[in-house]
Amino acid sequence: MSDSYVSLVNGGLGGTVAKKLGLPRPGVLRRQTPDAPFAPGPVLVLGSPASADADAVAQLILTSDGGADLDIRRAAAGASARWGAVVVVLSDVEHPRDLAAPMLDLSGALRALAPGGRVVTISREATSSDTPSVAAARQGVDGALRSLAKELRAGATGNGIVLAGGVDLTAASVGAALRFFLSPRSAFVDGQLLTVSSVAGEAPGSWDRPLEGRVAVVTGAARGIGAAIARVLARDGARVVVVDVPAAGEALAALANEVRGTALQLDITAPDAGERIIDHAVSRHGGLDIVVHNAGITRDKLLANMSPEQWDSVLAVNIGAQLTINEALLASPAFTRSPRIVSLASTSGIAGNRGQTNYAASKGGVIGMVRATGPLLAGVGGTANAVAPGFIETEMTSRIPFATREVARRLNSLQQAGLPVDVAEAVAFLAGPAAGGINGEVLRVCGQNLVGA
Amino acid sequence: MGPDMVGRPSAVKTLPGVPELGGLYARAVLPGWPRLPGRSSGASPDHASLPDVTYRVADVVADPEQLLRYQRLLGEPADDALPAGFVHVLAFPVAMALMIHPDFPLPLAGMVHLANAVTMSRVIRADERLEVHAWARRLALHPRGTQVELVTEVSARYGAGDAMEVVWRGVSTYLAKGVERSGVTADPVDADPVDADPVAVGAPVADAPAVFTPPMPTARWTLDAGTGRRYAAVSGDRNPIHLSALTAKAFGFPRAIAHGMYTAARALAESGAGRGGAFEWTVVFAKPVLLPGTVAVSITGDDAGGFVYSGWNARSGKEHFSGTVTPT
Amino acid sequence: MPRRPQTPTTIPTTPAGTPAHDAGREAVIVGGNRIPFARAGGAYANASNQDMLTAALDGLVARFGLQGERIGEVVAGSVLKHSRDFNLARECVLGSSLSPQTPAYDLQQACATGLEAVIGVSNKIRLGQIESAIAGGADTISDAPIAVSEGLRRALLKASHAKSLSARIKAFASVRPADLAPATPRTDEPRTGLSMGEHQAITTATWSIGREEQDALAAASHQNLAAAYDAGFFDDLVTPYKGLVRDANLRPDSSVEKLAKLSPVFGTSLAVPATMTAGNSTPLSDGASVVLVASRAWARDHDLPVLARVVDGESAAVDYVHGHDGLLMAPAHAVPRLLARNALTLDDFDFFEIHEAFASTVLTTLAAWEDADYCRTELGLDGPFGSIDRSRLNVTGSSLAAGHPFAATGARIVATAAKLVANRAAETGKVSRALVSICAAGGLGVAAIIESAASVPGADAATTGGAL
Repeated sequence: MSDSYVSLVNGGLGGTVAKKLGLPRPGVLRRQTPDAPFAPGPVLVLGSPASADADAVAQLILTSDGGADLDIRRAAAGASARWGAVVVVLSDVEHPRDLAAPMLDLSGALRALAPGGRVVTISREATSSDTPSVAAARQGVDGALRSLAKELRAGATGNGIVLAGGVDLTAASVGAALRFFLSPRSAFVDGQLLTVSSVAGEAPGSWDRPLEGRVAVVTGAARGIGAAIARVLARDGARVVVVDVPAAGEALAALANEVRGTALQLDITAPDAGERIIDHAVSRHGGLDIVVHNAGITRDKLLANMSPEQWDSVLAVNIGAQLTINEALLASPAFTRSPRIVSLASTSGIAGNRGQTNYAASKGGVIGMVRATGPLLAGVGGTANAVAPGFIETEMTSRIPFATREVARRLNSLQQAGLPVDVAEAVAFLAGPAAGGINGEVLRVCGQNLVGA
Repeated sequence: MGPDMVGRPSAVKTLPGVPELGGLYARAVLPGWPRLPGRSSGASPDHASLPDVTYRVADVVADPEQLLRYQRLLGEPADDALPAGFVHVLAFPVAMALMIHPDFPLPLAGMVHLANAVTMSRVIRADERLEVHAWARRLALHPRGTQVELVTEVSARYGAGDAMEVVWRGVSTYLAKGVERSGVTADPVDADPVDADPVAVGAPVADAPAVFTPPMPTARWTLDAGTGRRYAAVSGDRNPIHLSALTAKAFGFPRAIAHGMYTAARALAESGAGRGGAFEWTVVFAKPVLLPGTVAVSITGDDAGGFVYSGWNARSGKEHFSGTVTPT
Repeated sequence: MPRRPQTPTTIPTTPAGTPAHDAGREAVIVGGNRIPFARAGGAYANASNQDMLTAALDGLVARFGLQGERIGEVVAGSVLKHSRDFNLARECVLGSSLSPQTPAYDLQQACATGLEAVIGVSNKIRLGQIESAIAGGADTISDAPIAVSEGLRRALLKASHAKSLSARIKAFASVRPADLAPATPRTDEPRTGLSMGEHQAITTATWSIGREEQDALAAASHQNLAAAYDAGFFDDLVTPYKGLVRDANLRPDSSVEKLAKLSPVFGTSLAVPATMTAGNSTPLSDGASVVLVASRAWARDHDLPVLARVVDGESAAVDYVHGHDGLLMAPAHAVPRLLARNALTLDDFDFFEIHEAFASTVLTTLAAWEDADYCRTELGLDGPFGSIDRSRLNVTGSSLAAGHPFAATGARIVATAAKLVANRAAETGKVSRALVSICAAGGLGVAAIIESAASVPGADAATTGGAL
């Protein structure tokens, strides 16, 4: 499962050889550790000259938890160290020409961006009610950010926060999203624009344990991405119920004991799965706040050769069960404390993948489902979002033939596969109390896959 | 001394100690070996052709180590009470010595142990100084030869003085196959069933019953090839027929055979009824147990606290032995 | 069968509806866990008792979130045990996710080990000595201890006690080549040399239990266990282990016709036709199981469910050595005494969990209870003890299908019974009871009453007829 190529080309001799040969040189991603700094260097906040928004963002970072320790600059001049992050505040652009100054300032700063550095844009959503020039400027950010992200090297990423109408910079989720994108938790998130659609959500009591006091259920938790999600949610303070099919019980029990949670052996396609999950969480842990629909299966086959069983089983597990369980959740009085649903989608569900019509139908379905479910939960401060992983190093992908796997690994801006923990970090971010303003969205954790959007 | 004394030859020859069985066997099979001293026969008509002498050995004491090895092998409690079978081991060589007496009419080699009956009247402690008397009686015609009974009596002190009481009495019935002696008639016991001797009553001097119907087993003995050697080691009875297939073949057996007294003593131990100290213990031997071998065993109790037991070949259903343990 | 007339035992009875024990404190069953049972030499060929029991404990911890919890006591054992496992239960605790401050001790009562452990910890809980406990057991045939021969053992002991080198050499000089062969563990009864199967074959013949009857019971066991698995009944009772998800011995397609084709393996040298086959006898198995027992308060404080309560237990033993009774007939004695003490009859039970050491063990027990003569002379009753409704017998399968790792069977059955009565009570709103009965080597038998825990103490009066 380990990517020895990344280690090789980042070593002394291997690095030199790779450089001379013009081979891809994926950077080592900066990932979350208990003592990881907020950013690997000073933070530069750029914006239109005299932008009040840029000042506000700088202030926002400065006053956030841990922000006081950061070296925050409003101008590039005089910096001695390489930039840990550059935040480009474009929320007040009104014409495409307004993009020039901050983007060109960014151009100068990029050469001094630290390995594993971050570029984050903050902009507003372009809508049909905007004036054409405003819409052009706002939508232009989208293209610029995605292209920029493809240009970054050495494990640096570029992502954007998009404010929907009526949401200003002080919204809890803006700070939370900015924090997520700057932090090592977003290591494999690249080239993504995440929309904050409401002011809902509140900062956690502790950014170290943002899920303290929350009860989370993770399905398909016995191994791989599900296990990583359970670990990260537990690390962030949640009491975790790990769910998997009875056959996976041994690994599930070991995980439950590791995260000091409880194991629930359950086939999620059972008609009463939702009730059993709620009953377990409520009776054992006093409530249910977070449900992560991670369980999923693949039965890859070209549609031309697809059997009804292959189609049905994938749809039943990957989307049917989630819909049924969500119905139970939506009906339950227990699931009303700013609840969070995070569903695992897939880049296949967005861009499609040969031989995965059934899987992509289910994962596309997940995206549609969260979009429609989010509003149903908004009334109680809840959200439903999806996380769409790209190529992640798991037991499943380790079975892909070597050559295919090598190619798949490099087919993204970070030129490497992600780890299960990268997906888990995104899930934990969306499950957090501060992400209440992000609802019905899909966050891709794919290193900016070259295929698809 | 009671009715047991009846028929005991009055001439008593005191031996210096209990003879070694090994030496006795050697004398029995090797011609020209010096025989034990004895008087010529010809006294009462009842003992017409048997040595008219009672052998006596005094101050017989159990060897504690031998006792412990016996107890372990037979499954008796490892305490300081002598199991009835151990007393047999201790005392029987005295009777055996009679069987190589010059006047003894039957050859020891090839003799078959048909039956054995023991009466024990009280617990005998390991440190008691015992006195053994042994004599032969009842030479009688048997359908397959001539049989004889060897009586062994063990006495111990009682009370404060030197008075002795019989505490153990064994009657061993042997058959010399194919041997006929003039003047020997059928066993009078058959004609006189009211004979008080429990041995004779309990011992069908004919072959085992023609039809043996195995009861429900209560146990199974898995006897390995070393069974005979182990009992030989604790009993001193190193008759070659028990020791190995090779030595047994020399005497006409296909394999080594288990000591009959081992099977009877094990049944006694497993009945648990011998622990009270006063009881009768009988056995009648049928087909020998070939080693290694498996014996199906039934040991069942009756309302009076007594036990009947039998052993047979589980495959063929042929009887090996049967007997009783009856508290008195 | 030789039946010695016995003086009828005086069974102390309490007035109907009066619980025999102090109703103030209850021992409730929170739940259980086991690993699937493997066939000897199968999936757990390389697992030790400690491995398996630790896995069963960890599965329980995971199910109930007991990580780091200090349990009042863990009591478990195994029948075939290595000398290194002298502190098996405690070692398993230390290897588990429980608090290392959890005390433990080993217990062994042959196949009744697990049930005896449950009864023992329940009594402690009711006395207030502990608030929580885990009872169970493990056994492996695959990793059974092999001892050195008696001759070598004695030589080794002598040598280890020897003071000088020459004494040590002398000690070893007594070792013969045959002594070097290992002594494999025996499951034969030490006093009779007969295996349990051979003993039961005698009992089967004595009670004239037919082959078809036995095969039918075995087929039902497999079918019931398979159906229960399919219904998800074991989802919260079993945690897979080493790739095994269901009991390896389970044959869902078992049928009387298929079983009828097997040749008898026990009782083949008896005078009557042999009826006991590998199909209607339990196979040698590996496995482990545990059950979590607690006071009501402890369960409530830990937000844990309460399935059932352990009402009472009774042990019995029979004189089998000289054939007076069958080796595995002790439960026939234990149950009437247990029910009398609790003023219950067989009709008061919704479920009968009678351990299927052999199909005929169950059938001889049932036959004995219907036999007026046996009940009078052996059980000291006035007449037949009674019959049971077969549709209530081992409804989710039992040892014939699941397998029988000796010490692991008790907790398997108790956890199953607890869930059965809890489900039944939830359906009907009434108290539901299960009778658990396990026979064991040495002529032992243990029985227990498990009752749905929704009932409150004293409610027995409403549902108990007190017919005895």
